[in-house]
Amino acid sequence: MTLESVARKDFRDALRSRWLLGLTLFFALLIGGSTALFYGVLLSGSGANSETLFGLTTAPGGLFNFSYAGMLGFVLALIALVTAHGSLIDERESGTIKLLLSLPNSRRDVVFGKLVGRTLVVLVSMLVGFVVALFAMLFTGGQVMFVSYAGQVALSGLLAAAFVSIGVWLSATSASQRQALFGTVGLYFIFAVLWSTVATGVPRLVNWVVEQLGLTALTAPQIVQMRLFIKYLNPLRAYETLVAELYGPAVAARLFKAGLAERLTVQSAFSESLPFYFSGPFILAILLAWIVVPPLLGYWAFEKADL
Amino acid sequence: MAAIELNGVTKRFEDDEGLFDSLLPSSEPDTVTAVDDLSFSVAEGEVFGFLGPNGAGKSTTINMLLDFVRPTGGSVRVLGHDAQAESVAVRRRTGVLPEGYEVYDRLTGREHVEFAIESKEADDDPDELLSRVGLAPDEADRRAGGYSKGMSQRLALAMALAGSPDLLVLDEPSSGLDPAGAREMRDIVRAEADRGATVFFSSHVLAQVEAVCDRVGIMRDGRLIAEDTIEGLRDRVDAEATLRIDVDGDADLDAVRALDGVSSVETDGDRLVVGCTDDAKTRVIEAVEVGGATVADFETDSASLEDIFLAYTEGDDPADESEVAA
Repeated sequence: MTLESVARKDFRDALRSRWLLGLTLFFALLIGGSTALFYGVLLSGSGANSETLFGLTTAPGGLFNFSYAGMLGFVLALIALVTAHGSLIDERESGTIKLLLSLPNSRRDVVFGKLVGRTLVVLVSMLVGFVVALFAMLFTGGQVMFVSYAGQVALSGLLAAAFVSIGVWLSATSASQRQALFGTVGLYFIFAVLWSTVATGVPRLVNWVVEQLGLTALTAPQIVQMRLFIKYLNPLRAYETLVAELYGPAVAARLFKAGLAERLTVQSAFSESLPFYFSGPFILAILLAWIVVPPLLGYWAFEKADL
Repeated sequence: MAAIELNGVTKRFEDDEGLFDSLLPSSEPDTVTAVDDLSFSVAEGEVFGFLGPNGAGKSTTINMLLDFVRPTGGSVRVLGHDAQAESVAVRRRTGVLPEGYEVYDRLTGREHVEFAIESKEADDDPDELLSRVGLAPDEADRRAGGYSKGMSQRLALAMALAGSPDLLVLDEPSSGLDPAGAREMRDIVRAEADRGATVFFSSHVLAQVEAVCDRVGIMRDGRLIAEDTIEGLRDRVDAEATLRIDVDGDADLDAVRALDGVSSVETDGDRLVVGCTDDAKTRVIEAVEVGGATVADFETDSASLEDIFLAYTEGDDPADESEVAA
C-alpha cells in the first residue's frame, strides 16, 4: 500500500517536472524518428520488413556489424541511469526523505517504491517511442514482424529496468549527490566501454597465471568461451544478443560481433550444442538478475544508514 | 504504559562517507558521541518539553525515536513498540514534525496532506487539516516549492496531525513561525493534548515550553541534566528573585545584606533592589522595617524559565542573569 503511494508520488513528480514529457519526446524522436527516416526515406517502397532495421546487420565475413539494439541499449542505459541515480540521495540531501519517513513508510517501501516509480517513467516514455515507430512502419509500408517486434520491446523494457535498478542501487549507497553522479558516470563507462577490454583481458590473464604455474594452458575454444561468458554478464551485451536471437538462430546471436577467428574457433562446437550458459534462458536470467540484485544491495545499505 | 521510554541510549556517530570511502584504507575514525547513556520516559497523555542548546543531542534523540538514526547502544521504545524493529508501527500512530526536512517542490500543499492521509490510511478531510494550521485554500493549491519557511512548517504540522496520532513528536515546531504562528502552534499542541495525545517537543523557545508543558527535560552534551515539572525546576535551581522595594527613610543595608539568601543589595534613589532567593523575600522586608524604614511598596520578579535554562545549560550563576535582567 505505501510502496504504491511512494511510487505514485514519485511518478507524479516526474510528470510535474516535465522529465517524463521530455523523455517521451526524446524516445518518440529517437525510435520513432529513426524508424520513419529508415522506412519512409531510405528504403521507401522497397517492401522492407521490421527486421531490416531492428535485426542484425552483418556484412559477409563479419567485416561490418551493426545492430539497432546495440545502439538503443547505450541510450536506454544512459537515460535509465540519469533518471534513477538521484532517486534516494536527492531526497536525503534536500531533507524531503524526512517527511517521507515520518509517515508510516518503511525504508523498503521507499527504495522499492522509487524503483517502481522511476522504472515506470522510463518504460512509459520508451513505449511511446516504440509505438510511434510501429505506426511509422505501418504508414511507410514496412512489414512488421509483430512477434519479434514485441519481443524487442519487452527486452528493451527489461534493459531499461536493469539500469534503473543499478541507478537506484547507486543512489541508495551514495553519501552525497556528487558521489552518486560519479558512480553513475563511472559505471556507465565500465558497461559501455571498459567491459570488452576486461572480457578480453581476463582469459589472457588466467592463461598467463596457468602457464606460470606450469599447468596446461587454456585451449583456444576455452579462451573464446570465457571471453564470451564475461561479455554476456554485461546487461548491455545480454540485451543485444537476446534481441539478435529474436531474428535468427541462437548460435549466430551469441557470435554476433565476434571476430572471424573466434567464430571459426567455436562455431562448430556451438552448432552441435550450445552450452547451457550461452543459452537464451541463461542470458535472460543474467538480465533479470541485473533487475533484481542491485536494488536488494541498495536496500541492504539504505536500511542500515543513518539519515 | 509509557509513550516514550529510553533506556541507557547512546549514539556515537562515526565519520562515514559511504561506499567509496569505505573502500579506501581508513585512518582513525572520527567519533562523536551525540547521546550518552540517556534514560528517561514520557507518560501517555503528557506534554513533554525537550530543551537544550544546539548540539546537545535533542534532534539525535528524536531521530532515534523515528528510526532515522540507530542507537549505538541501549533501547528505545515508543508507544510500546521497539523504535527500530517496529518503526512503521510506531509511525502509524505518531505525527511527526521533523527537523531539517524539506517539502516537495512540485507537489501542492493539499497533495502533501493527501499523501500523509493516504500513507496513514486515515480518513481525514485535507481541507480541514489545512485550515486548522492556517493555510488558506488558495495557498494549499499552490506548489509547496514557493512556500515560505513558516508556510512549510504549517504544512508539515498538518501532515503530522493527519490520522489523529496518539503521539506527536515535534522538533523545534515554532522555528520559522512569526509570533502569531507560534501562538497558533501552542494552541494546536494544547488541543492535541486535550484530545489525549502525548506530545513530545523540543525547543529552545522557552516561552513555548513554559506555556504548554507538563514536564520538561533539559539536555546538555548528550545527557539529560534535569527532568522535572517547571515548578520543580524552579525550586531546584533555587532561583533568584529580584525584589524592588520603595522605602521611606533610611534602610539598614548591612542588616539586609547579612540575611540568609540575599546575594546583592543596591540602591536606586529611594528604591532598594535586592537579589535574593524566593523564600528570603519576607525576611528582607521584615529587616527593612525592623531597621526603622517604612516599606511604601514592593514588587518581585521571579526567575523565568529562561534564567533556569541558562543556569543549567551554560553553568552561569543565575544571579548574574537576573541582575542583567533587572
